[in-house]
Amino acid sequence: MMDLLITVFSATFFVTIIRTTTPLLLATLGGLIADLSGALNVALEGMMLIGCLTAVVVSVYAPWYVAVLAGLGVGGLLGALMAFFAYRLKADIILVGFAVNILAAGGTVFALALATGGDKGTSINLKSQAIPAVDLSFLSAIPGIGPILTAFLSGHSVLSWVAAFLVFAVWYFLYRTPWGLWLRGVGEYPAAPEAAGIPVAKVRTWSLVVSGALAGIGGAQLAMFNYVGFTRDMTAGRGFIALGAVLLGARHPVGALLAALLFGTFEAFAVVLPGLFNWLPAELIRMIPFLVTIAALVLFSIRAQRALAMRGAK
Amino acid sequence: MSNVPAIDKSIRFKALRREVTRSVGALVIALAVTTVIVFLTSKAPLDALTQLFTAPAAKMRTVGLWVDDIAKLTLTGLAFSLVFQARQFAMGVQGQVYIGALAASFVVLSPIGTTPFGLAAGVLAAMAAGAFYGFLPGIAKAKLGANEIVSSLMLNYIAIELCNFLVRTALPLPQVGVLTTVDFPKESVLPALVANTRIDMGLIFAIVAVLVVWFALYRTSWGLKLRLVGHNARFAEYSGIKSTFIMVSAMTASGALGGLLGAVFVQGQTWGKLTVQFEGGLAFEGILVAIVARSRPLAVPIVAIFYAYLRQGASLMNVRTDVPAEVIGVVTAIIILLVSSSFSLNFITRLFRRAPAAAAVQSAAK
Repeated sequence: MMDLLITVFSATFFVTIIRTTTPLLLATLGGLIADLSGALNVALEGMMLIGCLTAVVVSVYAPWYVAVLAGLGVGGLLGALMAFFAYRLKADIILVGFAVNILAAGGTVFALALATGGDKGTSINLKSQAIPAVDLSFLSAIPGIGPILTAFLSGHSVLSWVAAFLVFAVWYFLYRTPWGLWLRGVGEYPAAPEAAGIPVAKVRTWSLVVSGALAGIGGAQLAMFNYVGFTRDMTAGRGFIALGAVLLGARHPVGALLAALLFGTFEAFAVVLPGLFNWLPAELIRMIPFLVTIAALVLFSIRAQRALAMRGAK
Repeated sequence: MSNVPAIDKSIRFKALRREVTRSVGALVIALAVTTVIVFLTSKAPLDALTQLFTAPAAKMRTVGLWVDDIAKLTLTGLAFSLVFQARQFAMGVQGQVYIGALAASFVVLSPIGTTPFGLAAGVLAAMAAGAFYGFLPGIAKAKLGANEIVSSLMLNYIAIELCNFLVRTALPLPQVGVLTTVDFPKESVLPALVANTRIDMGLIFAIVAVLVVWFALYRTSWGLKLRLVGHNARFAEYSGIKSTFIMVSAMTASGALGGLLGAVFVQGQTWGKLTVQFEGGLAFEGILVAIVARSRPLAVPIVAIFYAYLRQGASLMNVRTDVPAEVIGVVTAIIILLVSSSFSLNFITRLFRRAPAAAAVQSAAK
């Protein structure tokens, strides 16, 4: 038990949390934007997975930032594909989302086999690159708190900083710009913006594109920092957990950050627990993120319902 | 049925013909895309395509694989149809399959398994466990408003890990380190209908399930209420239907079908034992079957026949040529996209026209 406490309150554990949170946070922000515009994006999982593979394959031939942009681009394209089928061809958005997930699950393995010359499990034969970590060791020069700052702030992925900035950017966009107001209006009550001349389908299309792009960057972080290389189904439900995180975060960017941190923390536990308690079965440890998601979803729903009941009582 | 007016019949026939044309159109487009992909990526494309399109029907053994897949796809297609008809997007069939298989295995590997009731007890335990697993996201949604998509997907992952864990620790294994249980006693294995093939009693279960689901949906008041809730939950609520009850019961019944599929998997001729990751992604392919069948129980087996053929063709192509079976995922996605959208065969001409809403506004303004 002491070991656990020492690990949990160490700076390396904090760095692990940030690492496990980043892909989740990016996907959650993507889910949030789509959800607020009224287009439930259940394809986050598939978009992340395709983002992972694209980033890994591109990073073999190009610098890491090109690979990240490729992940972003492919996610955005998938978002546009979803929007095309959902709004131009009037398909149900949830079914379209699952079509993307199925495409991702099969398509990535197929593409991986092509890229590696027959290996359907991992990209171990590809020399893919990693996203560099931001080195802030110069902070140690600050007297007193310098070493602590270094331990906590140094060594995160570039994308972790980007994700932290994006929380602010998404908040600013949603609550301080006219387009953000449009987006929220379209999600809240589409008939009103429609009557006011706001192109509802266009707003939703762009939110899906942005949503996909964010999930794609999340995939790039997962396959180029958390793990270096692609393995089949490596997202392992993170896209669906992100969907839960959107709801748990009360559909607000800061809430999304907190929810992603919560799930990231439990994922970090799942990373460190096998080393500390080797009697714990690995299968049960792998269950933790999913159990926490269900528990969080249920607790949040109870709270939301109570809030609704109180408002009704007044 | 004889008292149905003639005009009603002709409308139904037209609708049926439209659906069939759309599905076939989607299938043709998806296969055309697959052909292009195979030609671009394979060293021996003609060989691969021959395997994909002819291999399942070539031998008695492969026909057996095909029919076995038909039975299983029918069951998962029915499970998805039930919840889709109630407009619930519960995606929990995969989890129900694993939980059902676990329940069946525990019963069958206990002393009950060697009695004459072993088979029935295993199947019933699986259905009960699956129903319970389908009930969980249902009640969470009905009582708390918890999103059923997220909760059912999480339950899938939990069920898979639970299966891995229990196979390793709680069930009898032939030797340490193997992730497959000992063979089930033969009293509890579904008997083969055709000797030396995988065609077993699972096929009969599937046919019975089709009839039961059809009857329940179209010949009982529960089914009428369920379809009403699916069309317009608020209207159903106002007309006095307890929509939450219908929702939960639809998910529970669908869960029972998922559990049954689990039993058909592990008690069938294919396995006859429980092993980890036995379902190979089949459960999710019920989404495609249900969508193409428009969630109509009687159409589900017909779609399953075609899709099972493709599925087996792809896996035989995978074994015998250089094209991976996963290419079928592309086919599946294209078919779902086309069939669930307003795609029709002249959609290419409509594609570049204005969106229908804009056109309607314009015509109203005139």
